[in-house]
Amino acid sequence: MSKINNEVLEIIAKSLEIKKEKVTMDSSTENLEEWDSLGHLSILVSLDRKFNGQLAGIKEMAAASSVKSIFKILEDNSLI
Amino acid sequence: MHVCIKRIEYFFPEKKESNTDLKADNPDWRIDDIVKKTGIVSRRISSNEQTATDLAEESCKKLINSGLNTEDIDFIILVTQSPDYALPTSACILQDRLGVESCIAFDINLGCSGFVYGLAVSSSLISSGLAKQGILVCSDTYTKYIDKHDRTCRPLFSDAAAATHISISEVDSIGPFELGTDGSGYDKLIVPSSGARINSNKSQTNKLFMSGADVFMFTMDMVPKAVNSLLIKSNKKIEDIDLFIFHQASKLVIDSIIRRLDLPEEKVFMNFENIGNTVSATIPIALSDAIQQGRINTGDLIMLVGFGVGYSWGGCLIQWP
Repeated sequence: MSKINNEVLEIIAKSLEIKKEKVTMDSSTENLEEWDSLGHLSILVSLDRKFNGQLAGIKEMAAASSVKSIFKILEDNSLI
Repeated sequence: MHVCIKRIEYFFPEKKESNTDLKADNPDWRIDDIVKKTGIVSRRISSNEQTATDLAEESCKKLINSGLNTEDIDFIILVTQSPDYALPTSACILQDRLGVESCIAFDINLGCSGFVYGLAVSSSLISSGLAKQGILVCSDTYTKYIDKHDRTCRPLFSDAAAATHISISEVDSIGPFELGTDGSGYDKLIVPSSGARINSNKSQTNKLFMSGADVFMFTMDMVPKAVNSLLIKSNKKIEDIDLFIFHQASKLVIDSIIRRLDLPEEKVFMNFENIGNTVSATIPIALSDAIQQGRINTGDLIMLVGFGVGYSWGGCLIQWP
């Protein structure tokens, strides 16, 4: 896994206040109890900070409910 | 003709709801986590018999009791999304209850941007010569729309009314304005079965629905743009603004606006902790509290920005008279 991808996983874990090992490419709102609506807001804030405010214009990030979908949106927008 | 804000009075329903109350109804909620993100510790809840018109009446009476003569009231504009009836307009009921002679009276159906929109409309009425002074009252009882197990909405929203006396003035103190709309987000903050639209989806209810993430992304995108547009329009810089009063949505939202605009935190007023998000009333309540706390002095330049349901947003500058 690339350094930036690893950093994104770390950001997601930190936002949800859980250990990094708990977050994998298969993690989602379905299998992580901490990833609720407030947890998702924390993820959005942290990623926006990481990407210097470039996240705000990407509306579809609001509905990203899995690590895979977050990575796909970041890739589609050339952020990773 | 110039326009100014003369006075603001607000009114809360008696009942306070603490986060312990939330926990009692929802034992699985992580209250500490909720408070850390919302910054809200308690809210005000209207009683079953108490409507937004009732709260509005109380706040308007406080203005009248403080010296506003009912004969001088040329308009009553009620910003609300919880009217007593689909029709008639609640502002008409309010005009009668306040004992005001025939005047301009109408509702504005807007939420968190409503105070700034109402200020723009009030200013226009006065500037055009249609009125000399009147009341802009923001009142809502969103809590009536909220399911007690709704973790997105219940920890945030609160009920209140704020009445603002707006008058003709010698000095120009309100404006410019920056008003906008993005109706593509209409269904992100909505009470689905609340109007004439017949819904084929039987699961939709008359309860408030908010997609917090969508509304948050809209806010993060649009509020900084609105602030910058307003600065350009008025030929001002962030350093020229003495105080920013944003819609008191939640701690997470205001902190994110501060970060994105790189604002000095001491220039951003916050008072949501024991008030909650009172929709269109947050800005006039915050303005009033800022004055009470000595955070605003004569001649100060204040930026007001409301944003939310619609999506709708409105910003303006006020030079405090």
